[in-house]
Formats: sequence, structure tokens, C-alpha cells
Amino acid sequence: MTLTRKNGLLYLAILAGLIVLPSFISTKYYIHLSVLALIWVIVAQGQNLIQGFTGYVSIAQAGFMGIGAYGTALLGLNFGLPVWLTILSAPLITALFALVAGYPSLRVKGHYFAIVTLAFNMVIFIVLLNLTDLTNGEAGLMGIPKPGAGKDGAINFADRTTYYYFVLIAATGVTALTALIVNSRLGRVLVAIRQNETLVGAAGLAAWKYKLFAFVVSAMFAGFAGALYAHYQSFINPEIFTIAQSMDAVLAVILGGSGTITGPIIGAFAIVFLPEYLRFADSFRLVIYGLILILATIFMPRGIVGLASDALGLLKKRRAR
Amino acid sequence: MDLALDVRDLGKTFGGVKALDGLSFGIARGEVMGLIGPNGSGKSTTVNTLAGVFPATSGEIRLRGKPVHHLPEYARVQAGLTRTFQTASVFPEFTVREQVLLGAEPARTRRGVWSMLRSGARMEPELRGRLDEILQLTGLADLADTRIEEVSAADQRFLMIATALAADPAVILLDEPAAGMVSHERDRLSHLILALGARGHAVLVIEHHMSLIMKVCDRITVLNFGEKIAEGTPREIRSDQRVVDAYLGEAA
Repeated sequence: MTLTRKNGLLYLAILAGLIVLPSFISTKYYIHLSVLALIWVIVAQGQNLIQGFTGYVSIAQAGFMGIGAYGTALLGLNFGLPVWLTILSAPLITALFALVAGYPSLRVKGHYFAIVTLAFNMVIFIVLLNLTDLTNGEAGLMGIPKPGAGKDGAINFADRTTYYYFVLIAATGVTALTALIVNSRLGRVLVAIRQNETLVGAAGLAAWKYKLFAFVVSAMFAGFAGALYAHYQSFINPEIFTIAQSMDAVLAVILGGSGTITGPIIGAFAIVFLPEYLRFADSFRLVIYGLILILATIFMPRGIVGLASDALGLLKKRRAR
Repeated sequence: MDLALDVRDLGKTFGGVKALDGLSFGIARGEVMGLIGPNGSGKSTTVNTLAGVFPATSGEIRLRGKPVHHLPEYARVQAGLTRTFQTASVFPEFTVREQVLLGAEPARTRRGVWSMLRSGARMEPELRGRLDEILQLTGLADLADTRIEEVSAADQRFLMIATALAADPAVILLDEPAAGMVSHERDRLSHLILALGARGHAVLVIEHHMSLIMKVCDRITVLNFGEKIAEGTPREIRSDQRVVDAYLGEAA
């Protein structure tokens, strides 16, 4: 997959759409959801790097978000460090944890890898819950400061629309970085690992180094997203960093389109907005949610992006005739 | 003699089973060596032990004089030993050229973090020329930009050889390269193997197809129950009574 002109135009169109989006939304709640969706774009791009491109399904992204969120919050609350510094430290702190978790767990493949990462997510959750001296346990951390100088500053980050653009810049940067990685020589190796890891070894490449790279970078994205979340909500507790949220990251990639750049963007918006639109179904909400996901994996294994490109291809064929 | 591959007293046991016992042989630069023997005689174990898929229990493996038996698989490739597999092993979503390019990674001159982050399609000009030559040699030039899943099974087997060649190895291990091939594909293969020798690679061929082995090999090593029972030119092997008894049978 190279960066063709057509792809470039598509990316620009999506970016333009996201730039003008807030002016079409009058309900504040939808701006709020859009901010969350953009934060999830960052998580999903990371998930896609390890799951979609490298072929290792990790179920630990929410745990890494938690590390990033608590990292930035605790650095700010305990040491009074400026917000921009703690946000930038969050992915680095997460990277350390990912290195330690990834080195042993990347020795196993397939379902085993998924289970090891899932266990790691549970460990993070349990530690956040029980290390009460540091994390304040179930009650969580409150009063996490916003970036900038508050209402009097040049930019008022307390304003939702402002924060939306702040996160949009971050999500664009992360997406561009992902595109750079997957189109690079290194990215070719990741895609090769997904297709045939044995042959990668026989081609003289130490697959574990590349897998560890993808795993650590994906965790850094999640840690960064967690930090953006913490400063947006000003409140975090362990509840939001459980396996259920990690599964959301997995689903965002599957639903949007695994191994594509646009897929995780669409998938992230889907997993944030879909449950909202299913509210009318009340207690059946989760059942319908589950059903949609099962149907999606059966009938559109390449996600929404795959379905769309198939439809476009069909349309072109018709027109050609 | 200057040996490209020097195997001394190689042993491999699985649990209590001796799969290889005191195997020694050497292959010179430009030489094609055949490795034959009945099923279960230790041929595949030899390839996998040489390639570093699993460690040897005992013995030494030297590549251009340097010991490599302590190295992991990928490091042996970097040291100059590549292999193919019994069953076609490819990257189905890549094009033929993309796979061969990946095989060339160990031989690439531009390394380091920044060059790894540059476009995956970009390559050093001298490398492009070398890959074109390999594609030509293996008869894949016309398929260079075809997705591998659309390439025939036989061409996928030639692609494995092309990929193994891309690293510019001193030694190539061919594990049953003719499996599943029909006669004209076997002819193409035997020409290629002879060309590999002519290019200066040391080649080890494991094969059941005797006429191919007899045609391409300079020397043949025969295994039975993990031990070498004979080594010699194809003519010598054909008339060796132990080999006939153990493997070739009366027909040969």
C-alpha cells in the first residue's frame, strides 16, 4: 500500500470534514462524543499497527491508556509539572511498561499473545484499583488540570470545541506517523510478519525486534490518548481502563478496516457513536451492539473501508460496461 | 580446500532419539552437494539444524571458516547461510519483487533507524540491478509485479530460491526444491541449481528425485538413521552397495 494521489485526496477530504465538523454540531454532547472519538482514533491507530499490520491482536490498549492517563495526572498533581510536559511524558512512561510487558509476551503467537496481553491489562487495572496511596483507588483522581492558562489564557482549553481542535491536531499527527511507519521499509517488515513470520526469520530479520517496536509504539499511542483523555475529563478512575475498553480498540480496527489508515478513524467514530444511537433499545443495547459486531466480522471481514472500496470497484465496473 | 560450509561431528537428539549422529561434511565454494536418504534418515533435521531453527546437540558448523552454530536463525542468514522450505513459503500479499526485496534486507548497505523509516519501495540503485538479475536468473522477471497469491505453485518455489539468493549468501540450503514439480519445471530447476554453483554459491540440495540429484550434484552425501553411510560423486554413489541396500534399491 503506497501513498497514491487518490489516497492522499481521501485523507485530505477526511481531515477537511473533521475540521468543519464542529460548526455543523449544535448539541454540546455531540462535540463531547467527537472529542472522545478523536482520542479513540489515536488508540485505534496504535491498535492497528500491532493488530492490523503486524498481525498480533493485543488486548491491552486500555491498560496502556490508563498508564498514560495516571502518569500525566500524577506527575501534574504531585510534582506540579506543566501540563504540556506531563502529556509528552505519558507515552514515554507507557513505553517503559510496554517494553517490559512486550518482551516476554511476544514470544507467543495468536490467541496466546492475546491472552497474555489481556492478563497484563487486568494487572494494570488491579494495581490502579489497589495502589490507593498513589492512585486513590476506586474514587480516582480529580482536578486534573487543563492545558494552557485557563479561561484567561490565549487558548481556552476548557472550551470543548477548542479541545476538539487540540485533539484533532494530535490525532492527525499520530495518523501521519502511522502512515509513515507502515509505508516505510520497517513497515514492510511488519506486514511481512503478519503474512509469514517463519519466512521473515529465514530472510535474516530478527522478527522479535520489529514486533517489539510495533507493540511499544502502539502502547505509546494509547498512553498519549490516555493523557489527552485525562486532561479533557479532569477526572479518571480505574473503571475506564478495563478489558472492555481494550476490546473496543480491537473492534474499532475490525469494524473500520484492519491494515488500512482510514479504517481506524472510521472505526473509532463507530465505537463511540454506535452505542449512543443504540440507546433507544435500552437494555437490549448491548445485544444489538454484539449482533452488529458479529455480522460485521462475518459479512465485511475487511471492515467498512474494505466494503466501501469493493462497492466503488463494482460501481466502476458497471460504468465501464 | 577453502570450504564455504564445514560441518563437523554434528549431532541432534530429540528426547532420547538420535536424529543426527556425528555428521561431518564440507561444501566448497561453487559446489553442489546432494543430501539423500530414506524418510526419517535425518535430512530435514540436518537442514533445520544448519539453518538454526533448533540448536545442535553437539558438533560444529562453520561458515567461511567462522563458527555459526551458536547463532540464532536470522544471524546465520546475515552471516551468509540461507534456505528454502519443503512447502512453498511466501508472503501472499506481496508482489514477487517485494518479497525478493525483503530477502535482500541482510545484504542492504543502508541501515540504521532513519533509512528504515524511508519509503519501503525505495532501494539502493545497485540493489535494484542485482534484484533484476536474480529475477531474470530464476525466470521470474515477467512476474516481478504480480501478487504472489496469483503466482503458480512452481513459480512460488522458484521465488523461494530467488528470496534466498537476494541476501547474497555463501551457502544455500534447498529443502526438496522439486517437490510437486512436473518434468519441464524440474528441468528449469536443474538449470537454476547448476547456475547457482556457477555463480559461486555453495549449494546443499535435499531431494528425493534421483535423476535431478544425479544431474546437478558434484558430490552426494547419503544419510541413514542419522548417520552418514556414504559420500562421493553421483557415479560412486550409484554403485555403492550400502546406498543401494538402504535407499536406492535395485531399480537405480
